[in-house]
Amino acid sequence: MNPITAVMNWIKPIRFDGDNIPLWNRLEYSLRDKLLNGMITVLLVLIMLAILLPLYWMLSTALTPRAELFDFPVPLFPDNPTLDHFWKVIANSNFLVWYMNSLVVAIGVVLLTVFSATLGGYGLARLELPYKKTYARTILFGYMFPPILLAIPMFIFWRQLNIVNSHVGLILAETAISLPFSLWLMWQNFQRVPNSLEESALMAGATRFRAFVDIALPIAKPGMVAVGVFSFAVSWNQFTIPQVLMIDANHWVVVQGLFSFSKQHSILWGQLMAACFIVIIPPFLFVFFLQKYLLQGFRTGGVK
Amino acid sequence: MLERLRARKAPAQDSLYEFLSIKWILAGITLLPAAILFTFVNVLPILWAIYAGFFNVSPFSREWTWVGLENYFEVIGNPEFWMAMWRSLLFAAGSVTLQLIFGIGIALIINRTFRFATLVRSVIILPYLIPTAVLAFLAKWMGDPQSGILNQILLQTDLITEPIRWFSSFDLAMISVVLTGSWKFTLFVVIMVLARLQGIPEGLYEAATTMGATSYEKFRDITLPNLKGVIFIVLLLRGVWMFNKFDLIFVLTGGGPLGSTTTTSIHAYDVAFTTLQLGRAAAISTLLFIVLATSALLYFRVLEPSQEVDVE
Repeated sequence: MNPITAVMNWIKPIRFDGDNIPLWNRLEYSLRDKLLNGMITVLLVLIMLAILLPLYWMLSTALTPRAELFDFPVPLFPDNPTLDHFWKVIANSNFLVWYMNSLVVAIGVVLLTVFSATLGGYGLARLELPYKKTYARTILFGYMFPPILLAIPMFIFWRQLNIVNSHVGLILAETAISLPFSLWLMWQNFQRVPNSLEESALMAGATRFRAFVDIALPIAKPGMVAVGVFSFAVSWNQFTIPQVLMIDANHWVVVQGLFSFSKQHSILWGQLMAACFIVIIPPFLFVFFLQKYLLQGFRTGGVK
Repeated sequence: MLERLRARKAPAQDSLYEFLSIKWILAGITLLPAAILFTFVNVLPILWAIYAGFFNVSPFSREWTWVGLENYFEVIGNPEFWMAMWRSLLFAAGSVTLQLIFGIGIALIINRTFRFATLVRSVIILPYLIPTAVLAFLAKWMGDPQSGILNQILLQTDLITEPIRWFSSFDLAMISVVLTGSWKFTLFVVIMVLARLQGIPEGLYEAATTMGATSYEKFRDITLPNLKGVIFIVLLLRGVWMFNKFDLIFVLTGGGPLGSTTTTSIHAYDVAFTTLQLGRAAAISTLLFIVLATSALLYFRVLEPSQEVDVE
């Protein structure tokens, strides 16, 4: 094949007649598709890198020995990976206490939220009540409340009730953030559960409450799992409210504890990143294992 | 299933269930827990803030002294407060603009069908699971002037000759904080826009293609009008949340350098816990609540979100 034919073959998909045709429209459709897909792929790769690289860097720093952290140029892969930082973090008894505090508070928030949101969602969806629209607005308004706006008044209020620096106080406070959206989600969920199943149970002689427990609840399970994971994430993520309410270092949650790795002007970056990595494990696990439920549960979410 | 229901009947439990099924009793047990909780943790603190705003609240004892409107006047007369409000507004506007542009863009890209779509969609959700404080520490490390990876890369590729002090220079700190926050919160926009995009009937696009519409025309006349509602929700919710963002800024800069990132929430925290003027902090909370309520009013007037889903 002589060079001229090769070039001609290569540019065949491009039209050269007519000078008023925009460049893009001169291309053959299959070529346009290829170019477009190529561009999309490049963008996708960039997006993935933007998300994954910082996470990779967190892990990489956590695995790099302390002496090599300040090398220039910094190695992109740890030369001598070590779990030293992780051991040091775990051996730090305070960190374990803070981690336990976080877990206890998160579980409390999950239980309280799932319990009241499931019951409330059912009541709103199934019972004929006046002023439904007002409830909807109130709930959605509650969803807008930013943590700092609630935290400072809560501190003044909780102090009067003597529940500052207590798990109960923090669980209640964080429920303020998780409850409105959860209630909304369960309300939507119960609306999608066909009422006819419950009605036939009523016809067969079951009481309303039994129809709720034996029929509506099992079908609403994906919604409950979604609410559970959501409220866990809210509690696990929460820094503002504990920072205001939990002043005593023994009662800190784990994200507050991250501050203990910076002393004056030196920050123990290796240990800090290892600790951060340990902190993000639970939410990642949850989403990994419960993905199927989550998609089902949130699909009915409407607003979020 | 129904036979099983009947077979399991136990008389004592049955009468209990019958009692629980009386309409008002059922309404009580289902709705009261949420209602009591909501009142206690969402409504009372706000009322408490309004009330405490009229007092000098001692930080060490339970002593309250009535001062009338003094706290409110002091807050409103303090230029620091207005500077903080202005920074909050800047921070919120910058964040929401970035998050909307990137969020809609990313949602449009991953809404297409391609290989690895499920994988990409699960990766894309990861940043939203990372606690904001953790993100802030990670960003602080990556942007560290001495040994942060960002500066190292920029130095090595000769793009800069001196390390950039992302979070500790007066001019850059605000921009850096906005960028850091957007890394996480863009995903909120992606999730919401993606949900809406998947609800647009494919037929609309097919019809438009048949009529000879270009991709741009399809985007302008089908996609955009369908996204209007969700864009407005995102604008408001993210706007309100970013306006009051605390954790991100507190960890990254603590409000510094020289107060260049002291937004209203940082200011309120300082007033409450550095200068220990709890009454005045309560007054700031009340003012913030008024801003929030105004935005909420706008939300319900313009959009009526409670109608988006059937409230029956």
